[in-house]
Amino acid sequence: MIAKYIGRSFKRGCIQLVRRPMYFLLIIILPILCCWFLMDLIKGGSVQRVPVGIVDLDNSIISRQVSRTLNGFQQVNICHRYSNFAEARDAVQRGEVMGFFLIPEFLEEEALGGRQPVVSYYVNYAYYAPASMQYKGFKTMSLLTNGAIVQTALRTVGLPNETIAATLQPYQTHVHMPGNPFINYNYYLNATFVPCFLSLFILLVTAFSLGMELKSGLSRQWLKTSGNSMFLALVGKLVPQTVLFTAVGWFIQWMMFRCYDFPLNCNPWNMLSAMFLLVVANQSFAVLMFCFVPNFRYGTMLCTLLGMVSFSFAGFSLPQEAMYPWVEALGFVMPIKYYFLIMVDQALNGIDLYYSRFYYAALLGFTILPMFLSWHLKRDCLNPVYVP
Amino acid sequence: MTEKIKHSRFFLWFIQVLRVCGRELLLTFRDQGVVIFFLLLNAVYPVLYALIYNPEVVRNEPVVVVDDNRTAMSRDLVRRMDATQEVAIVGYAANMQEAQEAMHRKACYGILYVPRDFAQSVGRHEQGHVSLYCDMSVMMRYKAMFTALTNVTQAMGSERLAAIVEPVLNMSGSIIESRQVPVGNQAMGIASAVLLFILPLVLQQSMILGIAMLHGGSIERRRRNGGRDPLAIEAGVAATVIGKTMSHLIIYVIPVIYVLYYVPLMFDFPQYGNFLHVACMAVPFLIAVSLMGQTLQAFVNERESVFLLFVFSSVVFVFLTGASWPRYLMSRLWYVVGDCVPATWMSNGYVLIQSNGATLHQVSHHYWMMWLQVPVMYILAYLVERYVNRRRYRSWIAASEDNPRALTRIDLAKNGVG
Repeated sequence: MIAKYIGRSFKRGCIQLVRRPMYFLLIIILPILCCWFLMDLIKGGSVQRVPVGIVDLDNSIISRQVSRTLNGFQQVNICHRYSNFAEARDAVQRGEVMGFFLIPEFLEEEALGGRQPVVSYYVNYAYYAPASMQYKGFKTMSLLTNGAIVQTALRTVGLPNETIAATLQPYQTHVHMPGNPFINYNYYLNATFVPCFLSLFILLVTAFSLGMELKSGLSRQWLKTSGNSMFLALVGKLVPQTVLFTAVGWFIQWMMFRCYDFPLNCNPWNMLSAMFLLVVANQSFAVLMFCFVPNFRYGTMLCTLLGMVSFSFAGFSLPQEAMYPWVEALGFVMPIKYYFLIMVDQALNGIDLYYSRFYYAALLGFTILPMFLSWHLKRDCLNPVYVP
Repeated sequence: MTEKIKHSRFFLWFIQVLRVCGRELLLTFRDQGVVIFFLLLNAVYPVLYALIYNPEVVRNEPVVVVDDNRTAMSRDLVRRMDATQEVAIVGYAANMQEAQEAMHRKACYGILYVPRDFAQSVGRHEQGHVSLYCDMSVMMRYKAMFTALTNVTQAMGSERLAAIVEPVLNMSGSIIESRQVPVGNQAMGIASAVLLFILPLVLQQSMILGIAMLHGGSIERRRRNGGRDPLAIEAGVAATVIGKTMSHLIIYVIPVIYVLYYVPLMFDFPQYGNFLHVACMAVPFLIAVSLMGQTLQAFVNERESVFLLFVFSSVVFVFLTGASWPRYLMSRLWYVVGDCVPATWMSNGYVLIQSNGATLHQVSHHYWMMWLQVPVMYILAYLVERYVNRRRYRSWIAASEDNPRALTRIDLAKNGVG
């Protein structure tokens, strides 16, 4: 008997998927397109050659050496030379350059005379990522300039080269970046943004397909096909979508870890299972939202709102410990947060599965949660009301 | 004379435009869903985003120390690290294993390792090495820890340099001073940088969603009424497009002022520009977006499909504006695609005006590019209205004249019935 109901419910779910071309678009085409968009956009990896200007008021040998060396840096690209400060500022305001290096008048004279001239660099922090790169380049440059002069001076008093190096830079720092040694933006951003994109689609499609039953007034019929069992009705409706979404998710993971060589320092099954759990957890999350708000518009809106905001409050860009506590807490409401933590632990850092046990459990928990509340949804499916 | 004007074709056409505009306004305010998009979304979303990013910078990132050196110098290094804004030393670990364990448990996000010969090397006039292991899951964490360590070692280094060089050369270590002047976003925070890009985008997306939902509602009415919309005004194609654009402009006066003027004011984002210039930018922006929305509505069949079709595009558009990945590094394809979106120009122009105090003259390129989009988008919207929408309505009317239930049948079939 149950098998018959499952079969009927499943068939209905499949027919709905096939008859609306929009599902095909939303489950397969758009997630893959978006994934490709993000990966292709950032395929360069790191921000380099930031367009900057230079204002050389000194025009001496030292100042020209400075600008030549600066242009050799990979962080910045001197694409304009300005004759004064006002011109450079105007260029920043027009958006031609993202910052400039200012060499004051009498730099050489004052440097050799020991009067400590000041070079300044103006960095436009309105553009966040290029600004940090510029800062790195400019800072290194100003240190190098200083070092070059001191080095010459120390050599004239007869110090050996090794001592000079140690004197100029007594402390050497080694910064290790396990998992992403080249600070590749693609690895960092897309390993999280792309699954977040996918989970947005999952939320939307699940909400839409549930809402359509309520809107069209066919929810009673939907329940009837599965023998008045909310659970079977949901299974029949959502499992075909789960299969497709999981396939797309795995395809995306294949793209990430195989085509674009994202760090994968764990058993691939850890990530594959996390993806499957992410799909199911997101579907259940959408069902849960409908259990709370069994109304097409508000249910979908809630899923949309949370799906969109989860890009921000899951802590991909501003880390969770820097956020306000209530924002940090909100992040843990969304399944994508746990996928993100699993990704960091497993794929990026490759630590023991033991440390990620709670995140897997949380994703499972999302799946189980709606079962306790489905009676609420059932009540509304029996008396569907559509509010336009 | 007045009679002549009253009967002129232009006057009659203009009356039609006004009627379409009036009806669109009426439909908007009668429809709760659309009001949510046009007004509530603009009211809530910017504030929500701003609150999420409001801490601006990373402070007191937890770091564990493995100090194999245990000298005054290594302790000085650790103390100075702890004193930086970016890093907080949360504890000492006996060895690297223990520190790693702490990192796995997320008790810290970085390990500072001071090797056994640190102070001794420095004392011998060799280089003292110090290592930092960063968790790379979030870039801002890495940046904070990296900056802190660089600043601390450089400060310690220049003190030491001065101590050695001064007696020999009779001058302090630093010959050329350098100083950074952050322009635009003096807090150097993420909210002040990213939010200004997002604000115009919120306006664009909310407007597109609202327009599409209005259209979805009209489509549904037509489906129920045999291809005719009883609430629509029968007007020419151009009059319909222009009339709707007019109504959207009227509705958006208040959201524009709120989102682009009051939200930055509330959160103290950079606002060095003159709001008059922003308002001038907003005019072509809103016209272009309204026309773009009327173009994109071709894809909408139901009210609720707007969620599915347009919501995700917000993320795509955010990336195209160059908020997180700079535009100059994009490939030709994505650069050009970005050029076609009104929000790209508006966001960049808005950032330059608000953060860098640019005048309208200085962002005239952005301004004129949006004006260029207006005729292009108008032609597209016209084509969509004339050849997609109206053709569809005509075919529906024809179909329902044959069989009044034809449209409902198609609808039911899509939901898996029959």
